[in-house]
Amino acid sequence: MAGVNGPLNGIKILDLTHVWAGPLGVRFLADLGAEVVKVEAPYGRGPQQFPSTPIGGWIGKADPEEPWNRNALFTKLHRNRQSFCVDLKQADGRNAFLELVRVADVVIENFSATAMRSMGLGYDALALANPQIIYVSMPGFGATGPYSERVAFGPVVEPMSGLTNMLGYGPDEPRNSALAIMDPVAAVHSAAAVVEALRQCQITGAGAYVELSLHEGGVTYSGPWLLDHQMGHTPVCMGNRHPNMAPHGIYPCLGQDQWLALACVDQMQWRALCGLIPGLAQESDLQQRQKAADDIDRKIRAWTQNQSKAQASELLQASGIAAGPVNGAADLFADTQAQFRNFFVPYEQFDTPMPGNPIHMAGLASHQWTQCPDLGANNHDVLSQWLGYGDAQISALEDAGVLFNRPPD
Amino acid sequence: MVERVLEIGGYAAGYCGRLFARAGADVVRIQMDSVGPAWASDEAMSAFLHGGKRLLSTADGQLIAELANAADILIVEAQTANALSAMDFDGFSTPVKLAMTPFGRTGPKCNWNASGNVMLAMGGYTHLMGDPDRAPLSLPGHYLEFQTAALGYTAINACRMAGQHKVIDLGMFETLLALSQFTSVRWQCAGEQRERHGSDFWYVVPSNLFVCADGWVYLNIVPSFWDPLTVFLERPELLLDSRFLTNDLRMENREALHAIVGEILAPLSKAEIFARAQACRIPLGVVQSFAEVLDDPHLQARSFFAHSNARDVQPWRIPENPYCINGERRTVGLGPSTSEQVPLWRA
Repeated sequence: MAGVNGPLNGIKILDLTHVWAGPLGVRFLADLGAEVVKVEAPYGRGPQQFPSTPIGGWIGKADPEEPWNRNALFTKLHRNRQSFCVDLKQADGRNAFLELVRVADVVIENFSATAMRSMGLGYDALALANPQIIYVSMPGFGATGPYSERVAFGPVVEPMSGLTNMLGYGPDEPRNSALAIMDPVAAVHSAAAVVEALRQCQITGAGAYVELSLHEGGVTYSGPWLLDHQMGHTPVCMGNRHPNMAPHGIYPCLGQDQWLALACVDQMQWRALCGLIPGLAQESDLQQRQKAADDIDRKIRAWTQNQSKAQASELLQASGIAAGPVNGAADLFADTQAQFRNFFVPYEQFDTPMPGNPIHMAGLASHQWTQCPDLGANNHDVLSQWLGYGDAQISALEDAGVLFNRPPD
Repeated sequence: MVERVLEIGGYAAGYCGRLFARAGADVVRIQMDSVGPAWASDEAMSAFLHGGKRLLSTADGQLIAELANAADILIVEAQTANALSAMDFDGFSTPVKLAMTPFGRTGPKCNWNASGNVMLAMGGYTHLMGDPDRAPLSLPGHYLEFQTAALGYTAINACRMAGQHKVIDLGMFETLLALSQFTSVRWQCAGEQRERHGSDFWYVVPSNLFVCADGWVYLNIVPSFWDPLTVFLERPELLLDSRFLTNDLRMENREALHAIVGEILAPLSKAEIFARAQACRIPLGVVQSFAEVLDDPHLQARSFFAHSNARDVQPWRIPENPYCINGERRTVGLGPSTSEQVPLWRA
């Protein structure tokens, strides 16, 4: 039941996260070899019948027999884990969970600031069970402060991070990324925080309470702009342009909604661009190019719109210019670089390719990856192997309605 | 023992080193003549990234090799795989070495020239941002570099914890691919390509940016918040409106619903809307200016900003890590020091 091979072998994680940020962060830790048990509520994957197709579709055929186990988006985030489905609102369920905490290294959750405390499972309770436990809590606005009880999702946190001042078609046309971009920021920092706390524990022998805020992740990334503002030069939204590069933009190519990204990172790239596109002044420096940006963009558009995005990218790259196609989903799977490095891995049911691990190092191997387990598939193994429970004890919990392997009726 | 970290490269290397500096490591940064154009001034980037590090301006390969071989951790960011090799990255004997490049160290594009907007385009982000009938939008800022750096930090610490000597190859392109929300599975499993819809999250309604009396607010009403939204809007009759009974129906009638929400919010101030959202417990954020972010009472109550007085001017507020361990913010305080102040390590 150990994790896949990796430097985090021997680290036991109890994963109570849901939605995106938490599960994605834990996926990186599982890919690095941690042994992860997903502690799931009976309705954690939804009810027995789904009212509509989930946002990412189904793994395998439409209208699956066990829809809660075939949600593609959930599946994508939960490889290399065991599933332990327990009702933590029941005393026996809570006790079993606390026993698991005693032998675990990390507990991670991204509920609201008060949810775990209200079940009697806050950090104090878990640290009582295991003083060395690393407890990671990821409420949207953090666990303290005036917004701590506000409802937070990635898209509503984003405008409070400062990013919306810069993202858009201009100062009067702000846009939200609509990608819940604060979630992956929190995800990677949750993984970073876990290993940092584990290393600290390795030295001190003491556990830790790690608190991570979705909101603060976004504000951290706005840090350079916030400093510039304090230094007297407030940045403004420039659409697809850049304060220190010109040209820098997204240009139309042949075909409907086909685009190319291009940037001249330095003077050498600009000169190379002048060799490809007629009418550009080779001697222009950055300031001159910024002043003439409208005209330069027009000339680039005239050149790109007669070519496919792939062809234009190849030509520009051959001249040493930073350029590449604006890829949609189909393009990502067809990309030769992603294919060469075997980024998408068909380990999941029905050989469905899933995004891989960007961290490459000797000893990590995606062929060891295990599929997302069915709900409660590892109830027995977790209790017997982590806690030494016998069959009778486990059956008693099943009979008492504490353990589940399908959502209740 | 304090770990020795040698940092070489641009903003990804700088952010990775920043995380180590805040964790108490001794970080030496090799200052390069040019690390590529930034989204902010050099002074702002330096204050954000390099507090608590020692900076060394040198191109002396022998000195760099000596430092790398004496370090516990080597962080290198290079523009291409060839540029990485040219630094003799493979020749250094540092126990844990991290290479961050746009496309990774192998593959047909490992020597492609890159910029942030090119990577975001190729990694699938740009296609999804902006209005459907206009050019897609590229994400401004250094998201790409900082995300790659935080993953690198995770991998390095995992190796150090296990006592393993490793070379880590981290490509920014793959970082973006790994961080997609549902772009890949929607294509593979639902057979549909995700498209851009302005600020509209699209799959739950209403989830959009709305103009108000003094700015903008963002609502993100997943189905479980529909009932409280009608209270927030002071329009309880919407609960019985046949156009809006389910999320699917609200998707079908999104324009009508957006018009209703827009009309109600337009005369209200951001502060009024934010307070009302709290009272009704709905997910809503207000678009804050940089000044408002800096003065945000929540961030202040949480001591989120460190104060630097490195330049003898009014103290700058520097955002700290988005996580704290045992309540500690891991502040490094002052700006970067120079190599002259502290002797450099040797093997």
